[in-house]
Amino acid sequence: MAQDVKDTQQPKTEIPTVTLTIDGRAVSVPKGTTVLDAARQLGIHIPTFCWHPKLKSVGACRMCYVEIEKMPKLQVSCATEAMEGMVVRTDSDQVKQGRKAVLEFILLNHPLDCPTCDKGGECDLQNLTFRHGFDDSRFEFQKYRFTHGAEHTTFDDVRIGPEIVLNRNRCILCYKCVRANKEAFGEYDLGVYERGNIAEINAAPGELVDNPFSGNLVEICPVGALTNSDWRYKIRVWLTKTTPSVCNFSSTGANILFFKEDHQNKIFRTTSRRNDAIDDGWIADVTRYGYQIVGSPERLRTPLIRRNGKQEPATWDEALELIRRRFGEITERKGKVCIGGLASPTLDNAALYAFSKLFRTVLKSNNVDYRIDYKMLPTSDGSLYLRLSRRPFRIADLDTSDVIVTFGSDLVREHQLPYLRVRKACSFNAARYFSLTPYPVKSADVAESELIYRSGTEEVVLTAIGLAAVEMGLVEKSLAAEFSRKVEPKTLAEASAICGVDEESIRLLARAIADARKVSMFTGEIVSGSPARDMIAAAALNLNRLLGIEQRGQLAALAHSANSVGAEKLGVAPAPPASVVAKLKELWGQYPEAEPCTTDKMLALMRKEDIDGFFIVGADPVMTYPERQFAVDGLEKLDFLVVCDLFETATTELADVVLPLASWAEFAGDYTNLEGRVQRAERAIKPMHQSKTPLEIINLIAERLGGRLFETDQHMQREVSALLALPDQAHAPGEFLAVVPASDENANGSALPLYVCDDPHHSGHLTEKAHSLANFCGEAYVEMSPDLAARLDVTDGTPVRVESEAGKVVVAVRISDHLDNDVVLIPRNFAATAVNGLQLRKRRVDRVKISKVVD
Amino acid sequence: MFYSPVITNAAEAATNDKLHLFKYVEDPEQHKLETYVKHCGYQAWQKVLAGMKPDEVIDEVKRSGLRGRGGAGFPTGMKWSFVPKNSPKPRYLCCNADESEPGTCKDRVLMERDPHGVIEGMAIAAYAIGCHRMFIYIRGEFGHPIRRMEEAVAEAYKGGHLGKNIYGSGYDLDMVVHTGGGAYICGEETALLNSLEGERGMSRIRPPFPAIEGLYACPTIVNNVESLAAVPHIIRHGADWYKKMGTEKSAGTKIFSLSGHVNRPGNYEVELGFPLKKLIYDPAYGAGIKDGKKLKGVIPGGASTPFLTPDMLEKANLDYESLQSVGSMLGSGAVIVFNEDTCIVWTILKLIHFFRHESCGKCTPCREGTGWLEQVIHRIEDGHGRQGDLEMIENVCGNILGRTICPLGDAAVMPIQSAVKHWRDEWVYHIEHGKCQVKPHFPFK
Repeated sequence: MAQDVKDTQQPKTEIPTVTLTIDGRAVSVPKGTTVLDAARQLGIHIPTFCWHPKLKSVGACRMCYVEIEKMPKLQVSCATEAMEGMVVRTDSDQVKQGRKAVLEFILLNHPLDCPTCDKGGECDLQNLTFRHGFDDSRFEFQKYRFTHGAEHTTFDDVRIGPEIVLNRNRCILCYKCVRANKEAFGEYDLGVYERGNIAEINAAPGELVDNPFSGNLVEICPVGALTNSDWRYKIRVWLTKTTPSVCNFSSTGANILFFKEDHQNKIFRTTSRRNDAIDDGWIADVTRYGYQIVGSPERLRTPLIRRNGKQEPATWDEALELIRRRFGEITERKGKVCIGGLASPTLDNAALYAFSKLFRTVLKSNNVDYRIDYKMLPTSDGSLYLRLSRRPFRIADLDTSDVIVTFGSDLVREHQLPYLRVRKACSFNAARYFSLTPYPVKSADVAESELIYRSGTEEVVLTAIGLAAVEMGLVEKSLAAEFSRKVEPKTLAEASAICGVDEESIRLLARAIADARKVSMFTGEIVSGSPARDMIAAAALNLNRLLGIEQRGQLAALAHSANSVGAEKLGVAPAPPASVVAKLKELWGQYPEAEPCTTDKMLALMRKEDIDGFFIVGADPVMTYPERQFAVDGLEKLDFLVVCDLFETATTELADVVLPLASWAEFAGDYTNLEGRVQRAERAIKPMHQSKTPLEIINLIAERLGGRLFETDQHMQREVSALLALPDQAHAPGEFLAVVPASDENANGSALPLYVCDDPHHSGHLTEKAHSLANFCGEAYVEMSPDLAARLDVTDGTPVRVESEAGKVVVAVRISDHLDNDVVLIPRNFAATAVNGLQLRKRRVDRVKISKVVD
Repeated sequence: MFYSPVITNAAEAATNDKLHLFKYVEDPEQHKLETYVKHCGYQAWQKVLAGMKPDEVIDEVKRSGLRGRGGAGFPTGMKWSFVPKNSPKPRYLCCNADESEPGTCKDRVLMERDPHGVIEGMAIAAYAIGCHRMFIYIRGEFGHPIRRMEEAVAEAYKGGHLGKNIYGSGYDLDMVVHTGGGAYICGEETALLNSLEGERGMSRIRPPFPAIEGLYACPTIVNNVESLAAVPHIIRHGADWYKKMGTEKSAGTKIFSLSGHVNRPGNYEVELGFPLKKLIYDPAYGAGIKDGKKLKGVIPGGASTPFLTPDMLEKANLDYESLQSVGSMLGSGAVIVFNEDTCIVWTILKLIHFFRHESCGKCTPCREGTGWLEQVIHRIEDGHGRQGDLEMIENVCGNILGRTICPLGDAAVMPIQSAVKHWRDEWVYHIEHGKCQVKPHFPFK
């Protein structure tokens, strides 16, 4: 029960405590705690339906009655604040009678169709009736049946979303779904209609409940009113077992549970596993339904070997032997540096570490990287962006920040759980939120102010905030003078003119940051994916020094993938920090001297045939590398390419050997989330078909190549732990950095800035194989403002040709409900639409032209 | 423009200086600013802005003993003083004009015939709590009062009684006329605030009380039309004048909406403490039971208050304490009279139908209980009552009473409980014989 106690928002020291007696036991709680929470702290369970630890109490279900001395009526404990000296009874006859009465009321019109209800076995109503209810009913009338909108469907079901089915007869109107949707997710696609005992939950007229958090609504339903089509009628819950795991599709690392059935070696669903430090018990749909890729029929079944230009099934032994022979030949022919490797940052710590060790000890190469989709990666340890990204960050600290600033991040698309935290801070704690992006984003609806800057002017915006603070006299004179010396432009007016944000908004933001008690500021993908990210990071670090952000909070560039931080800390980058290199030398007794090459450089070397052999684990650079042709040209020139993946991808097509890889649900592994928190995902099922875990594959290859990476698993664990234990905070520079905005590279007036991003329901290149996620969004689109669509004379669904200097794609139009400037977004998640074919890797902002397809 | 044809005691009020609310209510021009000003209108507002501090206004109203006229009877000045003095948030005043308690039609008359009185009262209240934007939430079905109110607000702006820098005092005050969405529950203050915010009209759990966290989570005072309409008179004549009227604990006058089987149904302003029997039988007011029938029972304060029987009537005066002492409530002041031909089961069925229909559906006992009660009572009325039904009704009522978020649950069951208590024989007869004891049925069935 301890985990179910509502977290207190403030540090405990600031709040006085009160002592009360519950069922004869005394308990001290911070002032403001409800009687229900106080009881839970004592381990006393008060039954509830409508209470949720992360939502405001509404006292609707009336199940949580308690008797309080000196109060004549029963009180609802979820909404009664604990007071000094209160004497509470949770088990008196009056309380028991009250609960029985509520259950009787709730069951009046409940269909009691438990045998055919999917919630059976995990239903709050079943459990609480069993525990507290009557065994008979005094209701002798026809039960009310909701049928409208559900004619001819089984059990009067209504489909209200791509994955959600509603049964209003079972609904007990606790309103948790509607409240969560509104309070926690900021979505209004679900509502209450009619009133009294025919009140019903339903989708808003003409809408579908398809927001990226909609699966949570099913999970928090206390009865079988909301079920998801992914789970219903597949298995009874008591036949499943659960395995704790973490999400593999985002850097947040939401805690989840897999429900699996051992005999079928199959996962049936994912639910949240509440961890208040990370996820608050909410998970995004991509986390919830993403497990479906594990059981996809398209999974690779056996290793494939290219024979006579065609990939044919082979045994593991054949494949490994071929790898040994070809890598050996390449090494002999050219020397060892001509082999490179790319590992996906979604692999676990052990596999990533083994990958680096394989290259650095067995192949003696520094050509190893994990960054599969960034433009123009930083090469050196001294990169300013890396300094920014290595700053400590706590998701839970967003709750208590009074000013939150996100910079270059479309939160709903990239950091969904931090987005919910931002919402929570704003709506529960009245935090002031500022969103800075080159285009309007959904998440800004809770923002005090949304600042839209001109594409590609990130560093100018950050400098402008500093200049505004200087001009308003918010900083010390000497500091201000030093700052002004180092940056360009010199005045707020100039900066404002360049970035296109009005001065007043910048001043407001500067003052908010300066006045804040606690600030959280973080940057997103628009910064990490920009070739100018070192410059932007410099501007951010300047701002940090000028306004003292870190003294009063946190500032960081957030990682993007499930284990990017782990890869970074374990030294999977070509040039890891000196401390990591030193540690590696100590552990291995050796470290290659060879020149380190980033992904970008390796691809360039492949074109020059300086790299001949390449080993990819779990990544699909052809689909994700920003400049598809560049990646394809490189990989095609290779003599020998080995790719491990779950599915056939655009990259495996080019491979000489394809190895079936096990997904994260099929082995136990540790993952490091964006905070640097190491979390374990246990093995839910055995690896499917002939697939092997990434660590196993790397070990096997190492052995074939004549090197044994680890004596035992313990050795490996020890080495990984030693690296993870290294302090990772990069020191903030003790001086201001020069920031000079790049000149406008693209005078190409009429072309539209293109932002390639994740669809809110997808992440990376695999999730389109999850059929539920494909139900939400199954193909790419080009999202644009209504105004732009009108000018182009297109409507929702019209196919258009999107053209850049690099290439073109044909894709359907989606008219956005929040975009209002001339920017287009295309998701990167769909293999059929190679959007990276439009990108140029050296271009700061890709620009495209859109024309109607004429047939 | 037409009047809603309601009988009032305006003639009496014209000569009786105590009856201030109805003094000019029959004047066909009273709704116009010009006439209102001629009748000393907006003098109180000018007096307040000319030299009274907000606290002085609150003290004056506190001293007057004015209590909320919407039903609960909470001291108005006390309510105002709950608004936190140091909150940085804006404060709001909402006038609750969602008059929909069955039998009540007093606010309607005030808004229709004396809208400036309401505006002036609101303005003074707004000043007292430091509010610069006030709302009047008018029941959506009140087409005519809404139009009157809107016209009056426009006139008040034009006349400089609202808007920026009123009377050169530097005080700004805006007023919004908001039309309700057609739900009885929106007369409950927290549901009203939800509805005003654009949310579904469902009551909120308290605390926090609206005075601390109301409209848009800002300190908000919600007052009934009649309470606010009394405020200018209190300011103009002084608290002592007001306190002298009525009884010790129930000061002032109140409008009672008399309806049902009486000869002269209408709105009557009387001093609190007025004998209920006199209201029904006096020729100046109700003028006795229609067609010379005998009285069966009275609901003294709107459909949600318990019934009184004829012998209880002897002791019942129209003030908060007296009615409480005989087991009922003053409520909104809607006196509904039933003659001897009324079938009590049928009456209760109509009442519970109303409450079932108007239950918002938020909390379980009210949502499910009212529906169940309606079904059981319908069964009895229909002649299919079963042994044990009465006990079950009493039990279910007990499971609703005092266990809901807002008073709607209590309102639904209190008349039932009293009807079962006072006329148990009639219920038993219905159940045992499958038909009604009272012949003929209620006249218009």
